[in-house]
Amino acid sequence: MAIDMKIERQILRRTETSDEEIVVNFGPQHPSTHGVINFVTQTTGEIIRRSVPEVGYLHRGLEKIGEMVTYPGYMPFTDRIDYVAAMFANEGYALAVERLLGIEAPPRAQYLRAIAGELCRISSHFIAVGTMATDIGAATPLTHGLRERESVNDLIEELCGARLTFNYHRIGGVSFDAPAGWSDKVLRFLDHLDSYIQEWDRLISFNQIYVDRLANVGVITREQAVDYGLVGPNLRGSGVQWDIRRDLSYGAYPDFAFDIPVGTGRFGTVGDCWDRYYVRVQEMLESSKIIRQALAKLPEGEIMAKVARKPKPDAGEAVGRVESARGEMLYYVVSDGSEKAYRLRVRTGSFLAMGIIEELSRGIMVADLIAIIASLDIVAPEIDR
Amino acid sequence: MAQGIRAYFGHITDVVTTFWEGLSVTLSYMLRRPITVQYPDRVEKRVADTLPPRYRGILEVDTAVCTGCMACERACPIGVIKISTDKDPGNPKQRVITQFDIDVGKCMFCGLCVEPCPTGAIAHTREFEATRKHVDSLVFRWVPDPAKPVPFYRPVKGQDAPRAPVGEILRRCLAAASWIERPSFLPEERKP
Repeated sequence: MAIDMKIERQILRRTETSDEEIVVNFGPQHPSTHGVINFVTQTTGEIIRRSVPEVGYLHRGLEKIGEMVTYPGYMPFTDRIDYVAAMFANEGYALAVERLLGIEAPPRAQYLRAIAGELCRISSHFIAVGTMATDIGAATPLTHGLRERESVNDLIEELCGARLTFNYHRIGGVSFDAPAGWSDKVLRFLDHLDSYIQEWDRLISFNQIYVDRLANVGVITREQAVDYGLVGPNLRGSGVQWDIRRDLSYGAYPDFAFDIPVGTGRFGTVGDCWDRYYVRVQEMLESSKIIRQALAKLPEGEIMAKVARKPKPDAGEAVGRVESARGEMLYYVVSDGSEKAYRLRVRTGSFLAMGIIEELSRGIMVADLIAIIASLDIVAPEIDR
Repeated sequence: MAQGIRAYFGHITDVVTTFWEGLSVTLSYMLRRPITVQYPDRVEKRVADTLPPRYRGILEVDTAVCTGCMACERACPIGVIKISTDKDPGNPKQRVITQFDIDVGKCMFCGLCVEPCPTGAIAHTREFEATRKHVDSLVFRWVPDPAKPVPFYRPVKGQDAPRAPVGEILRRCLAAASWIERPSFLPEERKP
């Protein structure tokens, strides 16, 4: 036993002092990988040479399932594509099939979709910023973020009956109208949220240690972000004002006035980890603005358009694009005229963020890789579907 | 040099002040009411009773108002519901349900089966605690005995179906079943 320890120590000393390159499997069970995903990392000591994400670890064949179940029957499966923000996955699929059928949801349903979606964005961003703080080393903010997320979940639970896999949207509308007194509860939560964000900023956003760990780390320039096809807050963190809600508007969003926060390089360079983090914090306030406007203007009327129980769209193809919490979510549905889709394709924000990790990881410290992964806000099941 | 020292100590001051700012937020929670609930044993009310009415818990079927239309079976994307119907041997005009099984172990609680139901016979309850030792025990047989089938319910025009209050039948069902119950089709457990 004693001899073994001696050899161990010798090996350790050799790897510490030499330039020997070792390959570390960062993940798939590592807590800061945000799910089951493996980063194969070549390191020299603390310095990373290269880190390649191994995409496909959580593949569940959700796109193939889309070809095996009917159009309405696929809706619960979309929840599982991105379970942290399932409302957007629902909405994108509903939009794509509605376009395929040539129908549109009634105005009230579109407003309810916007409200539910923005509530979901708030809850998803609380997870994103909370886990980011935890990965950096501050354990408290995650518990605060989860507490706020629970309040949102309570509201959504009252609306549609589930806390995680909502299955709220239907092809041609939504499944439930807002219950009595629900909008007051939402407004009360939003009042709390607007003041709470200030507390959150005091708690962690401007903490000097936190800022030092994130500023000038993992800088994605404007050109890089566009070249690598980043979407959502990751793209906006690099200073690109691109938001599907405004630029390729859908549903009720043209009726609302809201700003699109972008990274400004407040503590370092535009496009660093802190910028991407703070874009998310600001987006929560923008979501709050949208929900207030939607609740004020909420039209009366039907919540479902007339759709057959098992719709059979004419042969053709349609695309539904929504701004999810992790950026653009695109559904591409091809119909052959039967009651099941001929082909279904999902393009998600987390998957696009995977491409840039190899580029960013050259020559950084191991601890910075964790900051970069956290700042890209990846959800592993969304990467692999 | 002096500037360097000032920047160095200025940084330390920044760290200490922002650190205390964050800690003061954390400390203020010592004086606030906690929002956590000590589930399961130290709650004032049963959690199932505090959930909103739309909560999608375990499915329940009131076979007394089931029309046997099988819309729920067709709506389920993963085939959780299994319904068999037959002619009543005593009365050839009357059709009967001989089997109505819901595999709650497979159910994903999406609610698609509840929507097409014409009488509200199938509904989500607010119950969610149905732990069983064997996953096969989670198959709820709403027509317990195929030898005693349930006749189809004929809806009366202008009248709501006399549906039992949602959750009552399931609660009775859960209370009657023991959690170590072993499904009959499995072989006997070997005694050690």
